[in-house]
Amino acid sequence: MRTKLYRRSFTKLTVLTGASVLVVPACRDDAVTPPNELTLTSDERDLFERFAEVFLPTDGSSLKPRAEVPVVDNIEHAFTLMDAPTLEQVRIGLKLFDYGAVLIGLHFARFVHLSAQRRLDYIKRWEDGLEIQRGISTVLKKLVCYGYWKDIEAGRAIGYQGPVSKAGGIASLGNAPMPSATNG
Amino acid sequence: MANLPKATIQGLPSLKVTSPDQIPEAGLQLEADVLVIGSGAAGAVTAYELARSGARVLVLEAGPHIPSSEFEEHAPTALETLYQDHGNQVNTTGDLAILQGKCVGGSTVVNAAACFRAPNQVLADWATEHGLENLSPEALRPYFERVERNLSVHQNEPHEVNYNGRLLIEGAKKVGIPASPISRNIRDCALTGHCVSGCKTDRKQSMLVTYLPWASELGATILSGTRAESFDVSGRRVTAVRAVATDAAGKEKPVQVRAGLVVVAAGAVQTPLLFQRNKIGNSSGQIGLNFACHPSLAVFGEHENDIYAWVGATLSAQAGDIENPLRGGYLLEAGMVGPVITSAWIDGGVGSEFVEFMQNSKKFQAAVTLIHDHNVGRVYLDGDRKRIDYDLDDRDFESMREALRGTARIYFAAGARRVYLPTTRKTTIESADQVDSVINGLQNGKHRYRITSYHPQGTMRMGADATKSVVGPNGLCHDLDNVYVPDASLFPSSLLVNPQITVYTMASYISDQILARA
Repeated sequence: MRTKLYRRSFTKLTVLTGASVLVVPACRDDAVTPPNELTLTSDERDLFERFAEVFLPTDGSSLKPRAEVPVVDNIEHAFTLMDAPTLEQVRIGLKLFDYGAVLIGLHFARFVHLSAQRRLDYIKRWEDGLEIQRGISTVLKKLVCYGYWKDIEAGRAIGYQGPVSKAGGIASLGNAPMPSATNG
Repeated sequence: MANLPKATIQGLPSLKVTSPDQIPEAGLQLEADVLVIGSGAAGAVTAYELARSGARVLVLEAGPHIPSSEFEEHAPTALETLYQDHGNQVNTTGDLAILQGKCVGGSTVVNAAACFRAPNQVLADWATEHGLENLSPEALRPYFERVERNLSVHQNEPHEVNYNGRLLIEGAKKVGIPASPISRNIRDCALTGHCVSGCKTDRKQSMLVTYLPWASELGATILSGTRAESFDVSGRRVTAVRAVATDAAGKEKPVQVRAGLVVVAAGAVQTPLLFQRNKIGNSSGQIGLNFACHPSLAVFGEHENDIYAWVGATLSAQAGDIENPLRGGYLLEAGMVGPVITSAWIDGGVGSEFVEFMQNSKKFQAAVTLIHDHNVGRVYLDGDRKRIDYDLDDRDFESMREALRGTARIYFAAGARRVYLPTTRKTTIESADQVDSVINGLQNGKHRYRITSYHPQGTMRMGADATKSVVGPNGLCHDLDNVYVPDASLFPSSLLVNPQITVYTMASYISDQILARA
């Protein structure tokens, strides 16, 4: 049943080239990861780590070091907030992105195994690619951004104030008074 | 009933909400004169207005009750706890985020407090195209005035217009675009910049601190975490509504409410789904059709100096021609939220250029665009799954381009050295003389832009002709004798402007219609 579900959704995503049809079924066993599994697979963790390395290279910048932020754990948490069909679609997209490098990207290796420069170039090609490629690359970027900027201190490193009311002792005004009878 | 900290403030009305944990395992069987489904802008106002007349009112809210004292001023947490689908609600294509509140108070808890009346041109269109002569500006004026007074609506004072807002006004004036401080429903704003994560100190006059506690004070019963699912129907009347309350342990408890009158105010996505699930009220075939949503884009302008656009009122100023929505008028609202939203709104590139983009974000002037979009979308059930079909129409893309063009011109006039556009691949305009060439080069298409909707509307169209609309001019469903819809789903066409004030107004108006018919 789960495999059936996976394949049905996959057909919706295969507006790419025929190559993708060859690529994804050739993935390892976790290609049929149950869509409602809420923990990231090792492939998915690898993908987010390798993606974040080149997408958000904090070394030498004023940003909070990425290694000090649980980016991938935060993304895993985001997975728990998605409904099953959405999660299924996202997982298929991740797989397509990672394994797409084999044939679509003509690198003959998965994204996670490419050099940093090739990974960067690959992301840029997907940004400019077909509708589905643009969609998947955007989802990846948004998830990594969510995973990183969820950290309040990461925000403070760029000057964002974060929560202020409690620290500032700002009092609640409480509920508004009842309108007067004449006002309604 | 839960006792909340705010209830201890002497002399102020208290909000009493029954949570699913307080409902016995066997469930509840309740009776009311009026059952209101949804506690957002429309539901809260209707509940109060009818409770005020002496009716026994019961409100069912699918979302949780989160008191403002528990708000964390942290967008990711707010998305997770206060928003529909934990902030993951999207269109079928997957390129449009559709944000709605899902909590006691609904979207009013998480909106940015912008207040506008429906433009006269839109109301005139409703009269001529949909037979709604009863909704003229003159007829609605007392209702607008009433809700604005009740919710402390006022134009931002000078101290409520931050640097980002002043830049929008200054730039707009230089290029001849009307601009002014925005109006908001707020009392003594603490300028925390956290409107969309919920106002922790109860300055924003959302339904959570106004109409709901007022209704509660007048005896209305409010159940949170309780989702209406099915209707018992006899002829043209709904006699009872069956709902499910889900407690913290995930246990589902049945709730049945028998009521003389049912008001469905679950918003432009959930209201049509409830009717579709129950297969009622749809002789016109219009339920779920005509979805519009004000597709919104963010635009950043990078300056030499620091702006800290996220400091102060979330929305501080406006620019654009809001009197002519049907002729391509657009609205720009100066505002910015924290880095999670910043990085979701605009593509700042990849690698070192993205790092530089985020490091520079404190130098960004920021605004979001709103347009009057056509009602080209559809909300429906695919099995049990909610679907929202909506792709940007080519006509609306032209309006969007005009809005982007206007924003870029304003930013450069205000001194920006670069403008970032909300495409899915980093796109910048490096100088004022490039504005037209870059904007003209943009194309409509799926997954080309980072689009967000904050204003779903239009799926239960109001109109005089029962063959072309779902709800009549007084808010009563054409096919049913005791079911009213007062929420944004009844708008026959989109407003252009933020809809909350118009929703409150329509709910007040429809409440009077209900009372006049009772």
